[in-house]
This record gives sequence, structure tokens and C-alpha cells, in this order.
Amino acid sequence: MQIAVVMESIHKSFDRFVALRGATFSAKWGEVHALLGENGAGKSTLMNVLAGLYLPDSGCIRINGEIVEISGPAHAKRLQIGMVHQNFKLVMPFSVLDNVLLANPGGSWRNRRSELAASIRERSEELDFNISPDAIVGSLSIAERQRIEILKGLIGGARILILDEPSAVLTDEETERMLQTLRQLAEAGACIILVTHKLNEVKQFADSVTVMRAGETVAEADPESQSVADLARLVVGEQVAEAPHRAPQLGGVQLAVRDLVAASDNGATTVRGASFEVRAGEIYGIAGVGGNGQAELAEVIMGLRAPAAGALAICGVDVTCAGPQRRRALGLAYIPADRYTFGLASSLPIAENFCVAQIRSGHYGGWTWVRGDRMRADAAEAVKAFNIAGTRNGAKAGMLSGGNAQKLVIAREFSGNPRAILAQTPTRGLDVRACAAVHENLLNARDRGAAVLLISEDLDEVTALSDRVGVMNRGRIVREFSSPVDRHQIGEAMFGHA
Amino acid sequence: MRERGNDGGQQAVVGKSAAVSSGHWRAVLEVRQSISGPQKALIVAVMLAVGLAISAIILILNGVQASSIFDELIVQTFFNRESLASVLVSTTPILLVGLAAAIGFRVRFWNIGIEGQIIFGGVGASLIAFYCPGSGALRLPLMGIAALIGGALWVLPTLFLKLRLRVNEIITTLLLNYVAYNFLMYLVYGPWQDPVDRFPHSAKFEAVARLPGIGFGRVDVGLLIGVAMVVVVWWLMQRSRLGFYMRFVEAKTRMAIVVGVPVISTQIAAVLLSGALSGLAGFAIAAGQEYRLTQSFALDFGFTGVVVAFLARNNPILVAVVSFLMGGLAVAGQAMKVFYQVPVAVVGLIQASIVLSIAASEFFIHHRVRFVRAC
Repeated sequence: MQIAVVMESIHKSFDRFVALRGATFSAKWGEVHALLGENGAGKSTLMNVLAGLYLPDSGCIRINGEIVEISGPAHAKRLQIGMVHQNFKLVMPFSVLDNVLLANPGGSWRNRRSELAASIRERSEELDFNISPDAIVGSLSIAERQRIEILKGLIGGARILILDEPSAVLTDEETERMLQTLRQLAEAGACIILVTHKLNEVKQFADSVTVMRAGETVAEADPESQSVADLARLVVGEQVAEAPHRAPQLGGVQLAVRDLVAASDNGATTVRGASFEVRAGEIYGIAGVGGNGQAELAEVIMGLRAPAAGALAICGVDVTCAGPQRRRALGLAYIPADRYTFGLASSLPIAENFCVAQIRSGHYGGWTWVRGDRMRADAAEAVKAFNIAGTRNGAKAGMLSGGNAQKLVIAREFSGNPRAILAQTPTRGLDVRACAAVHENLLNARDRGAAVLLISEDLDEVTALSDRVGVMNRGRIVREFSSPVDRHQIGEAMFGHA
Repeated sequence: MRERGNDGGQQAVVGKSAAVSSGHWRAVLEVRQSISGPQKALIVAVMLAVGLAISAIILILNGVQASSIFDELIVQTFFNRESLASVLVSTTPILLVGLAAAIGFRVRFWNIGIEGQIIFGGVGASLIAFYCPGSGALRLPLMGIAALIGGALWVLPTLFLKLRLRVNEIITTLLLNYVAYNFLMYLVYGPWQDPVDRFPHSAKFEAVARLPGIGFGRVDVGLLIGVAMVVVVWWLMQRSRLGFYMRFVEAKTRMAIVVGVPVISTQIAAVLLSGALSGLAGFAIAAGQEYRLTQSFALDFGFTGVVVAFLARNNPILVAVVSFLMGGLAVAGQAMKVFYQVPVAVVGLIQASIVLSIAASEFFIHHRVRFVRAC
């Protein structure tokens, strides 16, 4: 196979922060090449350099053996490089066709439209995407939006396609399908670069793998010859030990959900009579394919969405109609799926983000004077206790990498000694080490006697942590399992149409 | 407000990058990951200098001698006792409306209705001035309180519409300005028309209803009230619990709800304060400068307040600085009109160039331009 891309000793720094220190990378035509690394290892930066979004400070890029200096995304496009970003670059109220047109302008407007519509149909059929050029992007699912991004790149002539953590937003099923598509494209001769930190994806679908750590390339390997444990070791540089399971010490019911019914934003009833109980000292996991009402269930429990029917009690107190404040006062804590929307205010200092949930207690001063010194001291202590890296004095929460941001959310949510914890896909987008830290924190909270409700689409996570597992399917808890659970039975319940 | 550094710094970057060819050197645009305080200040200072340079060019093109620009417009405006007093007089209402706009923006409430709230502040103060005779010493404080209440009352319908029915406050506050203005017209052409000269403005306030001077030109106690309000608003925003809540409402409202910040109460408190401060500006103008309600006593102050808050990035201390400069600009503009026959439109153009230059500094705060040698 011929070499498609070579990047040699790429350096890139942002003001004082060094993101890449002499990273190297090469990928061949016709392969799926995985780029592995922890959060903040420099994967995305390296790929942004290749896609022309950043100019490297030094280093050399060859495409098909020729030295090129990529001056911008347009130039990258001419070099047949396309990138699917983690946050999609789509205009929601526009149709698929308009979005593709926006990325690939040219020619006479009318001809170009029909031309592009035809190629969208053709490509979509070829890849079994089932996307109509006239569909409005905002009405499509996340998986479909990702397909549009892929189509956009391919129609723009991309043959080197970079995907930045494409599976982070997908369910297992959707991921499988997307990765199959990528394989198909590679077999047709394209060069697919897959930025990820999911080891089994690499193992299953990649032809070769490059591992990065702290801005440097530490290994290039053949995934065939490496076990998942070997790959994990390459990524983190040391063995990661998951906390061993301890037997639960059960207490009273802390969180009770009865026949809950709720609708999503577009009016569809997605939670249809869900009932379950979580007791002190246990982790209750909710497994299920994404979109079966988990997101709305979490919002109802937090008090962000009003239920249409049913009841909800925290520590025996009915809170069906109470707002988030009241629920928090009763001892509910929330680790949200989307930590940048619901968890942290990026533009505010870490200390304020840490202390905001406790300010009502008066510990940080009364109405007239907020005690900044006490906040900073407490935050500094939490930063140490939860091992949050990358903080400077007065640093803003937005400066933290994904894993550290999540640790900060957890540190805050645990600071009030909560009696019930709602954790919604708490490890999304986190690397192996940060994942282990989050899991350990949840287990510790359980051992302290908190009731933990874990809603996650990652079945490995649910089965590894939960003392009991409820399977959510079409808005109901269809079956409950006790640890140790049988994954096959859970799978059946998840996909069953009972 | 823009969210930055959203994904641990890595993903914050996507999207914006462009290259412009120019000979052997090329300018490359990048999104910054972070910026230090001094760097920010430097950028703003440089852009301010650019704005002043553009203004100088405009003046020279309009026949003002290049050599006299600095002396006339800066030295004479700010370093002449009499002129400095005028600057301080025009600073007073700008200061109050600037604070009013800033405190609203801090909870993401775009108060475009400051002008209407000034009018109702003035009306409230006049109500006391005309109909509440009695102890002279109490008259002025009561007028001030009535002005605060008048301004707050005039923002109340908007607040209700926004929080209850989600009606966009930009539209409602803007439209209520016209209602307020026409109400003022009704008063000065109708029941409150000056019985002495029959002109369409109210009767003059009695002496006990006028803010006393402080012995520096025409500067009156209104300026001291304004400065006190700067301190109060600074304390409120930076040190009080309400201010702490406001920061979270501004930074990320949905997150604030989740962590238990009383978002609605915070918004109500801040918006009512915004209206009240606007009303106080009406009081400062009516009782401190005009000594009556005139048709145009509130004219254009609403938008000035928005501009001041924007330039000051909603920081109360910076609002004071920017208001002072805007006051200077107003006085210098007068001088230009009178002594150099510079048209009013050109004065506006100069103000706009300075405002736009500072606004443009936002771009350079978020982006970095690098020059690299092309190969």
C-alpha cells in the first residue's frame, strides 16, 4: 500500500501551552488508521494541523510524498483532506443539500444544486446512509448528522478522511454501523484516520494504530498483535487498575420513581411509565439504547423537565413538582452527560464553579459579602483531593481538559455529601485513566451510603459498576437484573420489542 | 457572550482559520486558546489609538488644523477647569444609564428601554416635586426614591412578558420607549404644561426640589450620587451573593438552574435595579440640570447607556471611566461645532469611529494574527 500522509516532527504551541512536541504520524491509502491517546494527548491538535486549521510552528507534512504547507481548510480540501469534527459543523435549519452546497460551492447555482442532490442520493445509497437531500438537518438524529458530515467530505472530494472521536456521540449499534462504513470506504482506497480512545474499536476495525501521549507519538503498532490491555498500557503508560467491587451495604429507599411519564422537546412521549427505586448504598444502573427516554428521565429527576404523570420522591419526600433547588436541598446531586452545558460555566473561575452549589448554605458568606478567600481555599483542597490537573490560580473552568472538567463537576457534586446521586453517562469522552477515577468516585460514594443512579449507554460501564441493572426500553424499565448480570440477557431486553 | 475553551481547549479551535497571501509573508488567523489581562489591555489601548487616529483624520478632512487637534480637543476639554466641569455634568446621566445597562446585560436581559425608564423616573420625581409640598429637606430624597420606583415600574411589564410568556425583551423595551415618550408629550402639552410661559415643558421645580451644586462649575450632587452608585453596583456585582448568582446566570443560564441558582429571582432583582438606575438618571437630569421635565430630557440616553455598558464590558468601574470619556467627547463635540463649524454628523462619526474601534478589539482578543513566511 502507498503512503498517503506523513507528518514529521510537528511542533505546535498556543501561547505558553505546548500541545505538540515533535509528533509524527503516517497513514497509508486503503487503511483505517486509528490515532489513540488520552484527553489532551494532542490527537485533535495534530489532526487540526493536517486539516489546515492550525499552522504548525515547525515540522513537515507530505501528502503522497510531496511536501506541502497547508495554508487553510480550503487548501486541505484541494489536497483531498476532509475532517469530521466532534461538534458537527452543520446549519440546523437548512436542508442536507444546502449544507453540502455550503461546503462545496461553485458552478451555476441551479445546476450545482441538482448535481449535488444527485450525488448525495448516489453516495447515500452506496454507503446505505438513507439520507434524503431535502431533509432538514435539525430534524435528523445525531448519527444521521454525522453521516451528512461524512457525505460532505466525500462529495468535496476528500480521500483522506479524518474523524475526530466519531463514536463519542453514538450508541453501540450506531457506532458499529459507522465503523463498517469507514471500513467500506477504506477498502475502496480511501485513507481513514480515526481519532478515538475506545480501545475495542481500534482492536476491531483499525488496520494500524498510532498512539500519542503528552504531545508526542509514543508508538505505532499493528492492532492485531496487541491485546486491549497492551493498548491501554501504551495509552496511559502504566497499568490502570479498576477498583475492585465491594459488597453493597443496603439502606432505605432514597430515590423512588413511580409510573413516570414525560415528553421530549418535540412533544413525543419518550418516558412512558418508568418505575424503579434506588436504595442507599447501591448503584442502580439504567442500561438501554440511546433515545429510549433516558435523557428525559434524567431531566425529570433533576427537575429540569416537568413530568406529565407519575411521582418522584427523594429520601421519602415527594418532589414531583419541586424545582432543582429544593431537590438539591434534599440531598440530590447531578453529574450531567453534557458537562459543558449543565455542569460548568467555562468562563468562570474553577473556584466559583466548585462552590456555586454550596453557596446557599451560607458557608461562603451571607447575602452581603461572598467569601472569595474561603472559596479558593476549598477549591484548592478539592483540586488536590480529586487530583484535578491543569489548574492555575484563578484559572477558568474552560481551561480544563475533558477528564479534569468532569472531575471538577464530581468534586462539586460530592462536596455536599449527597444522599442520592444521578450520574448520566459520566465518562463520555473521557480517557481510560479519567474513566477509572470517575468510577472509583462513584463506588466510594456508594460505600459512604449514597444512592447512585447511573444512566449510561455504555453497557460495559453499567455492568461493571451496578449492583442492580434496570433495562430501559421504549420509555419503561422492562427488566431488572442483580449483579452479577448476564450481558446477553440485558442485550435481549435492550433490543426486545416486548 | 461567546463560550470558549469548550472541550479542554482542543475543540475550541475549529472552524476559524484563514490565510491571506501577501508576497512572501502571509497573515494567518487563529483562534486564541487563552489571553492574559495585560495582553487584553494592550489590544484595547492599541485599538483606542486607532480610533483616535481615524477621528483625527476625519477632523483634518473637515478643515480642523492638525496642530490644534490635540490641544483643543484633549487639553482644552479635560484640563480646563470650566470645561472639565461641563464634562462632569454630561458624565452624570451617562454614568447612571451605563450602570443600568450593564446590570441588565449581566443577567442576559437586553434593556433597550432605558429611555422610557428615564422618562418615568423623571415623571416620578416631578410628581413629588409638584404634589408633595411640605418639609423641604425630605423633598429631594423622596424625589430620588420616586424616580427609582418609576424606572423600576416601567421595566416591570417587560420583565413579566419575558419571564411568563417568553416575549423577547429587546422588542418590548424598545416599543415601550415610544409609549413613554408619548406619555411625556401628553404631560407637557397637557396637565403639566408650564403655566408661566405656556411652552411644552413642565413648570420649573422649586428651589427645594433642585439638586444643589458642589461648588465646581455647574456640577451638582447628581454626580456624587452617580459615583456612589458605581460603588454600590461594584459591590453588588463583585462581592454580594446576588452578583455571584448573576455571574452564573450570565455565563450559562441552564447550568445555573441545574446547580440550584435561583435564576428567576436573580433576573428579576437585576432587571428591576436596571430600571431603577435608569429612573435615577431621569431624576439627575430633571432635578440637577433642567430643573423641569422637557420634551427631550431623556433623548438618546438609552442608546448611550447600551454603548457605554458594551465598551466597559459591563464592569461598573470601567463604566465610570467610559462615561467620563463619553462626557468629554460630548463637550469636545460642542467645541468642534461652535469653534470649527464641524457639522453635527461629523461629531457623531467621530464618536462612532472610536466606539467601533474598541468594539473591534474583541476580534483581536479572540483571534491571533500571525505572520509567517510562505515557502
